[in-house]
Amino acid sequence: MKFRAGTLRWALALGAALGVGCGGESEPTAASGPTIGFVMKTLNNPFFIDMERGAKAAAAERGARLIVQAPERELDIEKQMQIIENLIERRVDALCVTPSGSREIVSAIVKANAAGVPALVVDTRVDAEAAAAAGARVLTFIGSDNEAGGRLAGRKLVELLGGRGRVVVLEGIPGHETGDARLRGFRQALASAPEIEIVASQTAHWERDQGFTVMQNLLQAHPDVDGVFACNDMMALGAIEAIAAAGRTDRVRVVGFDAIDDARQAIREGRLAGSVAQHPEAMGRMAVEMALKALAGETLPPEIATPVEVIDAGNVAAADP
Amino acid sequence: MASLRTSALPAWLGPHAREAGGLAGLAFLGLTLALSTPHFLTVSNLLNVAQQTAINAVIAAGMTYVIISGGIDLSVGSIVALSGVLLAKALKADWPTPLALAVGLAAGAGCGVVNGLLVTRGRLPPFIATLGMMSVARGAALRLADGRPISGFEAGFRSLATAEPLGVPMPAWLMLGVYAAGQFVLQRTALGRYVYAIGGNEEAARLSGVNVRLHKTVVYAVSGLAAGFGAILLTARLNSAQPTAGGLYELDAIAAAVIGGASLLGGAGSLVGTLIGALIMGVLRNGLTLLNVSSYVQQIVIGAAIILAVLMDLALKRRQG
Repeated sequence: MKFRAGTLRWALALGAALGVGCGGESEPTAASGPTIGFVMKTLNNPFFIDMERGAKAAAAERGARLIVQAPERELDIEKQMQIIENLIERRVDALCVTPSGSREIVSAIVKANAAGVPALVVDTRVDAEAAAAAGARVLTFIGSDNEAGGRLAGRKLVELLGGRGRVVVLEGIPGHETGDARLRGFRQALASAPEIEIVASQTAHWERDQGFTVMQNLLQAHPDVDGVFACNDMMALGAIEAIAAAGRTDRVRVVGFDAIDDARQAIREGRLAGSVAQHPEAMGRMAVEMALKALAGETLPPEIATPVEVIDAGNVAAADP
Repeated sequence: MASLRTSALPAWLGPHAREAGGLAGLAFLGLTLALSTPHFLTVSNLLNVAQQTAINAVIAAGMTYVIISGGIDLSVGSIVALSGVLLAKALKADWPTPLALAVGLAAGAGCGVVNGLLVTRGRLPPFIATLGMMSVARGAALRLADGRPISGFEAGFRSLATAEPLGVPMPAWLMLGVYAAGQFVLQRTALGRYVYAIGGNEEAARLSGVNVRLHKTVVYAVSGLAAGFGAILLTARLNSAQPTAGGLYELDAIAAAVIGGASLLGGAGSLVGTLIGALIMGVLRNGLTLLNVSSYVQQIVIGAAIILAVLMDLALKRRQG
């Protein structure tokens, strides 16, 4: 008897936890249209929270149900795959995915294809070769032209440094198409400025704290650095803290990517020279709209580019979202 | 010790009270979900859960040995990454698949042996020894892979994740195989008895003539081996080995063992319990996604489930004196 009482309490408490968890969230409102599953890389990053906001707005306008899910950690492609499998079981009508790994996501897309769920890819491209090898079909890619964004960042840094100086780069996770494209664009822009030298290029894994420590180390190795390009703002924000700690804020110009709120604030305060703005909210909105179009039988273009622009001290006030 | 505790329980439960408690929790959880969503209790979703649980369950099986022996292994997540990278390199070098699998397993077991020697010969606390290995193995994985994922393997290897003998996904079969073997060793061999004896009272085990150093080393090797096996499953599933893979897997494995009734003080725990614990975690994650619970709330619910399970277990023990 005692034992059963214990089990009962266990079960009740767990049920209560589950009940609290589901309160009001189990079924999205405005639930007449199709259900769209949206799998983010993470929901700890303002970029994806903005994307979620755009997606939600579009879904609400069109009367579609929206389910947004993300793994606890941004790198966790296996959890992303689990979420996709679960959403397929949940019988969503279409899937929008921001892949945490350009190649790894292919296995999950194959599963969606097999279940007859149309898959749209947002923000980070699927590796074309891996997709072809596995026969994975993606309806469209919606995202920024990251290479063009990288070129914008490069040109901005060239302009800031007056065409000469030493530059370090904080890369994203190697093998991530997004970061690789930004880096390619950045290097292309710098190729036209022969007096600018990239003295170091290291990954800080997209993360703010790693941006700080990697920049601290780079400052030890290259105390005379003039400019920094970080492939996202989280790393750029970490880097400017490290530069401030070294008392070099006035001498090192930093350009980031994404123009998240914290970065805009840093631009207003003069701690960050610039950042390439993407429009995650537009991406989220566009993804939902495209998914609905596909479900209505329309053919989608293979790629939909959302705009990129440089935010700096000159336009940060006007560009406020 | 175990027999003393169980003798106070209702006779019909025999020596399996802890497992029965976990099973009741799992059944209640399943019932709650079945009543909340039509998508949970379907054959395809249950197979989906089994497949998603496999990796954590396999790693947790090794962890259970370590925890029963009174230790802890924080390095399993990093070992998953290192074993995966070595396995992928072997596959890419066109080694025969069985040999490549052996490389992955041997790498895991090798790291485990080093852990074991550090604990037994170096007299390091297990927490410290495996914390060090966590960093060493992660760094080695990143170094060997140059920070990049290694992806794209032939179909024979990938069938470890994609094949479905008798309609059940291969990872689920492999998980059952690992548990059957692990259970046999734990219940029917001298090693199994010694693991409990060492965890119950190491000094008493030594005085009774148990070769404590040897068997403790073997326990850590088993944990490393299980992590290597997990790496095989993960690499096949993602068709890619990432040096960043397996982050925080150690915590999931510890959670599964603890939910399943293993005591971090050593001497208590069982593989059946751990399998139930891993399934509870897998069912929770799956169910919460099916119910569209926000990913923030999911973390709260899973954390609460771990705490509740252990609270209930403690309450049960107290009442039975």
